[in-house]
Amino acid sequence: MDDMTKEAIRYLGYGKHAVDERTLALISDSFRNLEETAGRKSIYRIFDFNQTADDEFTIGTSAIQSSSLGRNLKGCRKVILFGATLGAGVDRLITRASVTDMAGAVVLQACAAALLEEYCDRCQTEIGMEMEKEGLHLRPRFSPGYGDFDIRFQAPLIQMLNCAKTIGLTMTDSYMMTPTKSVTAVIGASDTAEKCHIKGCEVCEKKDCIYRR
Amino acid sequence: MILDRLGKELLFFDGGMGTLLQAEGLKPGELPETWNITHAEIVTGIHKKYIEAGSDIILTNTFGANALKFHDGSMSLKEIVEKAVGHVKRAAGLADVDREVYTALDIGPTGKLLKPMGDLDFEEAYEAFKEVVIYGEEAGADLIHIETMSDTYELKAAVLAAKENTSLPVFVTTIFDERAKLLTGADVPSVTALLEGLRVDALGINCGLGPEQMMPILEQILRYSSLPVIVKPNAGLPKQVNGKTVYDVLPEAFASTMQEIVRKGAVVIGGCCGTTPDHIRAMTGLCRGMEPVALKPKEWTVVSSYGQAVFLGEGSKIIGERINPTGKKKFKQALKEHDMDYILKEGITQQDKGAHILDVNVGLPDIDEAAMMKEVVTELQSVTSLPLQIDTVDVKAMETALRIYNGKPMVNSVSGKQESMDAVFPLIQKYGGVVIGLALDEDGIPPTADGRVKVARRIIEEAGKYGIQKKDIVIDVLAMTISSEPEGAKVTLEALKKVREGLGVNTVLGVSNISFGLPSRPVVNANFYTMAMFNGLSAGIINPSSEDMMKSYYAYHALMNLDKNCETYISQYAQMAAPAQAAPSAGQSMLLDTAIEKGLKEEAHHITSGLVKDRKPLDIINEFLIPALDKVGKGFENGTVFLPQLLMSAEAAKASFAILKDAFASDGEVEEKKEKIVLATVKGDIHDIGKNIVKVLLENYGFDVIDLGKDVAPELIVDTVLKKDVRLVGLSALMTTTVVSMEETIKQLRKQAPSCRVMVGGAVLNQEYADMIGADFYGRDAMQSVYYAQELLQGK
Repeated sequence: MDDMTKEAIRYLGYGKHAVDERTLALISDSFRNLEETAGRKSIYRIFDFNQTADDEFTIGTSAIQSSSLGRNLKGCRKVILFGATLGAGVDRLITRASVTDMAGAVVLQACAAALLEEYCDRCQTEIGMEMEKEGLHLRPRFSPGYGDFDIRFQAPLIQMLNCAKTIGLTMTDSYMMTPTKSVTAVIGASDTAEKCHIKGCEVCEKKDCIYRR
Repeated sequence: MILDRLGKELLFFDGGMGTLLQAEGLKPGELPETWNITHAEIVTGIHKKYIEAGSDIILTNTFGANALKFHDGSMSLKEIVEKAVGHVKRAAGLADVDREVYTALDIGPTGKLLKPMGDLDFEEAYEAFKEVVIYGEEAGADLIHIETMSDTYELKAAVLAAKENTSLPVFVTTIFDERAKLLTGADVPSVTALLEGLRVDALGINCGLGPEQMMPILEQILRYSSLPVIVKPNAGLPKQVNGKTVYDVLPEAFASTMQEIVRKGAVVIGGCCGTTPDHIRAMTGLCRGMEPVALKPKEWTVVSSYGQAVFLGEGSKIIGERINPTGKKKFKQALKEHDMDYILKEGITQQDKGAHILDVNVGLPDIDEAAMMKEVVTELQSVTSLPLQIDTVDVKAMETALRIYNGKPMVNSVSGKQESMDAVFPLIQKYGGVVIGLALDEDGIPPTADGRVKVARRIIEEAGKYGIQKKDIVIDVLAMTISSEPEGAKVTLEALKKVREGLGVNTVLGVSNISFGLPSRPVVNANFYTMAMFNGLSAGIINPSSEDMMKSYYAYHALMNLDKNCETYISQYAQMAAPAQAAPSAGQSMLLDTAIEKGLKEEAHHITSGLVKDRKPLDIINEFLIPALDKVGKGFENGTVFLPQLLMSAEAAKASFAILKDAFASDGEVEEKKEKIVLATVKGDIHDIGKNIVKVLLENYGFDVIDLGKDVAPELIVDTVLKKDVRLVGLSALMTTTVVSMEETIKQLRKQAPSCRVMVGGAVLNQEYADMIGADFYGRDAMQSVYYAQELLQGK
């Protein structure tokens, strides 16, 4: 079983339980449909990073206060703002499935999330290789809304990347991203390589979550 | 006037503005339009350089100047636009050139995604653009240039705003990617169809790509567009070097590719991101004086949606007729009960069965047809990319639909009656569309083919007065049933041929009228359909779920070499050789409860169909359905059944209930009265998958769910509760930012409907949070809300 399928199963709440044949078939159908529909786009820009306190720093012209992101970025010289999306077609695909087949919609949703994460990982690897040339090493990406990193940073982040124009990623008045299968993140870059790349679930404080890895 | 020169000589735009402002110190994320006020000299200076480099048309620095970005009142939008126009005019005065310089009011996208995918209402977008174009015209702009658009819907709002509120020429360019698609999925033919329908003055492509990469897209635009074409590339593809965005096509290389672009047929050229006055100077130096390629009108008959275009005249196309209440009891019921899912399913099924266009008719006495049409068109466009055919006799409903439709629709219909043409043609002229002309007039339906051709000719001529071209008219020569008109079929076929070959326009036909009053109608219909296609039918309005009709369709295309190597035919029918499996009958191989537990939809359907023959529906529910659903529900709670399986079972049960519902009706038995529950994803929230899961399960357990959708205002929820006397509301919210509207909704419900209970759910919620906002119940998963509803409303 490939990693993306494993992730999709985790998002569907199976935990350590074995997955049934029919769900597995739905998953492989979903990935095939998504592959035809997804319009992957991404963008990144590199900014100077200036940390004045553990929980206070500036990225470009934006002042931010957050201890969880501060911890993640400690010791970094540059930060990369990153945005990625699977495009509006995926939203339509899920909406359509919601009308005809709710099980299919739920599985599509999980598979789209897995596909998006995989795409972001791939982008990050590429960015990482570029940065290595300048002797910089990437930290795990960190998104607005995680920990105490205010979701409202979504607005300047999207504006600084000019996401609407470059990759078609926009935001609603409630700071939700549209298309919904999108990611924005901050990625730190430091002179020294961090050995331990803790990310995602492991860093989260919600330990009783059923989706935990 | 610029329009006198457009297409007759080459005209030159300017180049990048943003990149030059950044070089002068504009920060990432800072709004460049504010510089019209804070850095007037720099902005004017850049314009002047472009004019001196040879630009005829200068874009104002107003790309992002709209009410949505300048809403906090710290700077007046009006002042920004006035200043911006003024800077171009002043620069033209300062520059030492002896040419006319045109000021183009630059309009870029709002940066928001429109509904239904985003949260910006179409009319709100329209208003935002309207404000700017009015300021622009007042300040003295010579034309409006709408650019870098990546969404056809937003584009339509902007063009309508410009055309309805100013008398300025409108130029439009969109941003295509390497696959020749807009970010929201539209391709070149669909964008071109939309813009020609809206009657812009010139169209083309800007940004996103360098000049080389634009070449194949330009070729496509030139193939489909009858309008003058604009090309404004970036100076190559952007690269990140030392944290800076750089473009690497140098002025000389840029200019020489632009020369090639002019040879291909572009008549207005300029640059976008990364291009500088040096690029423009090199370009004008090389290209000025070149003879532009003459415009050629194109004769495609094309309708489009946000994501695809359908061409009429290549083979025969299928227009699905099922979204129409005429003679359909269930559909009427769905309209009356506002059962949107039923209507959407009709659309999706027809697409799956092979329809190319969907006819949409929602006319019914006692309903607000315009409002219903608007809703159905919007909802259909969020689940299918097929172009739609707006089918109504209500002119108000037609205009409402044409306005909010995303694309260039098919319109059904206009007739040869003067009154009809006076009402419909102005709408087509304004919004664009391919309109069906019915071959009947004040004297009724002419009995002969020549009579119908004559009416068709009159329709085409009258349309011409509105500037509606022949390619945008398709004629319905009408089919009269052969049971009362023995010559009916022959007349229709003759008229088809004459209209198609003699008048040179495309044709449509509602095929199934032909057999009215006869037994075994499908046989007659399918044969007549083949004959009609052979005589020039461009599109049949048929039921794509009819096997007979589809067999005719596929066979005809295979026979006429319209289906290369019979590929489509083979892929449809190669499997058919094997004998179809008999449907399993009740008790034969599986019990209904097993089918539901396993989530087997087809089996549940077949078994139930068998069971209702000799058992009462209520017994089937109590004996099989409820125990099966309970078992699956318990399994879900215990962690042995998971969400996809729970939902597969729910869908199987739904298939079974659908049959039982009909059985109740035919038995004359009354179904148990269902308790109503309102479900909604709260205002500001666009994630509705959780709410939809809860809906499917509640329906399974016998509740009548009133689904208000996503991004629902508190007022609508309260209104519905009061009007329909609802005792339970379920609210969903995904993020902390939208729990605020959940709280507000609860507050309003408490005040106006104090006896109504509220259950809440969603990713961000927990018991504590639910208590804090005053909810009655927190459902940590979908089954919990079912149990709560049962306890509250069914006393279980």
